[in-house]
Amino acid sequence: MKVEHYLPLLPEAITILKKNGCWSRHWSKVMVSKSFDPTRIAGTIFRGDVRIGRLDDHFTPKDGIIRYAGIFDANLHNVVIGDNCHISNVNGWLSNLIIEDNVLMEDVGSIVCQGETSFGNGHAIELLNEGGGRELKITEMTSAQTAYLSTLYRHDPDLIASLDSLADAYANSVRSDRATIGEGSIIFHCQNIVNVKIGKGTILRGVQNLKEGSIASSPNARTFVGDGVIAKNFIIQKGAHVSDGALISGSLIGEYARIGKQFSAENSVMFCNSEGFHSEVCSIFGGPYTVTHHRSTLLIAGMFSFFNAGSGTNQSNHMYKLGPLHQGIIERGGKTGSSSYLLWPSRVGAFSAIMGKHHANFDSSDFPFSYVNEENGHSTLVPGMNFFTVGTLRDGLKWPTRDRRQHKDKLDQLNFEVLSPYTGQKMIKGITILLDLYAAAEKDQEYVSHQGILIKRLLLKTCSRYYRLATEKYLGDVVMARLISDSASNLASFLSPDPGAASGDSFWIDVSGLLCAQPRLTDLLERVKAGQVTDLQFLQTELKKLHGSYAKDEWSWILTTLPHVFGFTASALTVDDLRIVLEKWRVSSSKLLNMVEMDAVKEFEGNVRTGFGIDGHQEDDFINVRGNFESNSFKKQLDVMRLKIESNHQHASNILNKL
Amino acid sequence: MSTLDRIKKVAVELLKIQASRVQETSRFVEDLGADSMQSIELVASFEEEFDIEMDEDAALGVKTVGDAVKFIDQVIAEG
Repeated sequence: MKVEHYLPLLPEAITILKKNGCWSRHWSKVMVSKSFDPTRIAGTIFRGDVRIGRLDDHFTPKDGIIRYAGIFDANLHNVVIGDNCHISNVNGWLSNLIIEDNVLMEDVGSIVCQGETSFGNGHAIELLNEGGGRELKITEMTSAQTAYLSTLYRHDPDLIASLDSLADAYANSVRSDRATIGEGSIIFHCQNIVNVKIGKGTILRGVQNLKEGSIASSPNARTFVGDGVIAKNFIIQKGAHVSDGALISGSLIGEYARIGKQFSAENSVMFCNSEGFHSEVCSIFGGPYTVTHHRSTLLIAGMFSFFNAGSGTNQSNHMYKLGPLHQGIIERGGKTGSSSYLLWPSRVGAFSAIMGKHHANFDSSDFPFSYVNEENGHSTLVPGMNFFTVGTLRDGLKWPTRDRRQHKDKLDQLNFEVLSPYTGQKMIKGITILLDLYAAAEKDQEYVSHQGILIKRLLLKTCSRYYRLATEKYLGDVVMARLISDSASNLASFLSPDPGAASGDSFWIDVSGLLCAQPRLTDLLERVKAGQVTDLQFLQTELKKLHGSYAKDEWSWILTTLPHVFGFTASALTVDDLRIVLEKWRVSSSKLLNMVEMDAVKEFEGNVRTGFGIDGHQEDDFINVRGNFESNSFKKQLDVMRLKIESNHQHASNILNKL
Repeated sequence: MSTLDRIKKVAVELLKIQASRVQETSRFVEDLGADSMQSIELVASFEEEFDIEMDEDAALGVKTVGDAVKFIDQVIAEG
């Protein structure tokens, strides 16, 4: 909103205003723009200092009814109103506000700012441990990554102090006794809004009660808060859609998250593209793509990302008697089956499917892509099995396509890769653990135990082969992609790490969606502690850079890992070594698709037809409702992938021959 | 014991079914009731029983007891 030079009301204007049913004790405190049109104001009470911009335009909202810029039946107190706003039917007060240009506001209760506030910025919420100890100061600039560090790096008090200080500085920078309603916002049929900063282009429709919060929004990432929403001490980030009786208390709703249908969030974060409907979350760290859709589901005191909660999912954080102290982690890509239960503390490895009720505390983080089952009351693990399922393949394909964020300056840095150095290093470690467990087990032993969970002895070797297969596929994927896209003209340059890459033997971490070599993050955190990262925007820029180094750091890791996995012993890789990598890739990729197809075909055969053909004609009913496997789009997708394996293999082999 | 008998023994133990139910024509899933996890365990059990290593996807593609006999005999023959 541009700075206006306001003028006092002319006597003629005051006469018109009075005639239109307006009232003020001190007309001299009402200042207006140069081309002010008093005929566009009626039934309005002015209190305190009021500034009004031009009123010479109109809106045509979606209902098709033209609204002329003007102020009708409103009560104003210490308000600056930008150019061409339409404000009508304000039953309570608009008080201590800066209303930017082109705001359309109709049928509202009160929108007020009461005293100085930072609008939810800097509010500390108790994540993971309900009892405290991991408080996160939420701000409009909080990303999944900064939240991860603040919440989980409690081993480093200096870092936490620095991050808190950055959050406090941001909160202070927005602190004011005037709340802003951003340019182009639309506010219809809302009740009470107290101490809320409303970003540009926000749409509020039917909101019940908002208190102490910020709604980030921009013209190209408009945020919607709708019917019956009650929120207190909150941050809603750009593009989010919060509606239908959602209850938000001490929580952050991330970019383009969708929240509604009476969903309840308390002391929680739900970062970008998360979805919460019907259910309840309490003290959760909902990383990107945390999805819970069912009324009977409670997520509590856990960390999730790329997660899908089945109906009736539940966890308990009251293991002992000292209160709700226990926390859990389901690493990225997890899923819970209907009515699953986990007793915290537990930690579930990446891309795992959890079924049944688990009353043991276990840690399966060394085993990604696992089935976590319940057998006769015991928690059992099938390592690697979930890599070969339709679900995991489909998830990996769908997440990037479902990133709703199209605006620049996205807060959360996301890496969608299912196979990465993060899961790769775990699978390699998993192979060693499984084979060691096999070697140590007696042949008559049905199960072995590892970190609180049982694994069938019989499956130890099988599952280690699953990991080997997935690892060979992953390494081959990257070599293949590099060969096809790389401009290297000789073997030596192809096999060289990129300039500035992290060491190939670095440990990799998942910073709530951002995958990186740990030393790179450590370096950034040292700079944060040294005060070299001066504000949250700067930190955001640095995290973005860190995210941008993924490809070169991954290649460095691949180059270091290839000899170990494939048993190459020479000091340098040869073209023949790479041929072996490509051939193993071709075989493992084909096997993956074969096994996924076997998993998919189950949807079309056997007893899945039960319930079809209620009075006969089961086959026809099934075909007409579900179709047949051969014409299924996923099956066709698999066929295309198969052809691509062969063509890529041929292409890469040809390139290899020229190196 | 023949390959068939050894396969029957493994299937009976793992699927907890009566031996008479296991015929050459029996399908592991539809007739013997093996679920997806048990299918994997059957493959692992056969590997242990015959001290062989089977191709994961090909082994899981075997539908009947009779096919399993042929498949395992072939793996053994290929050494």
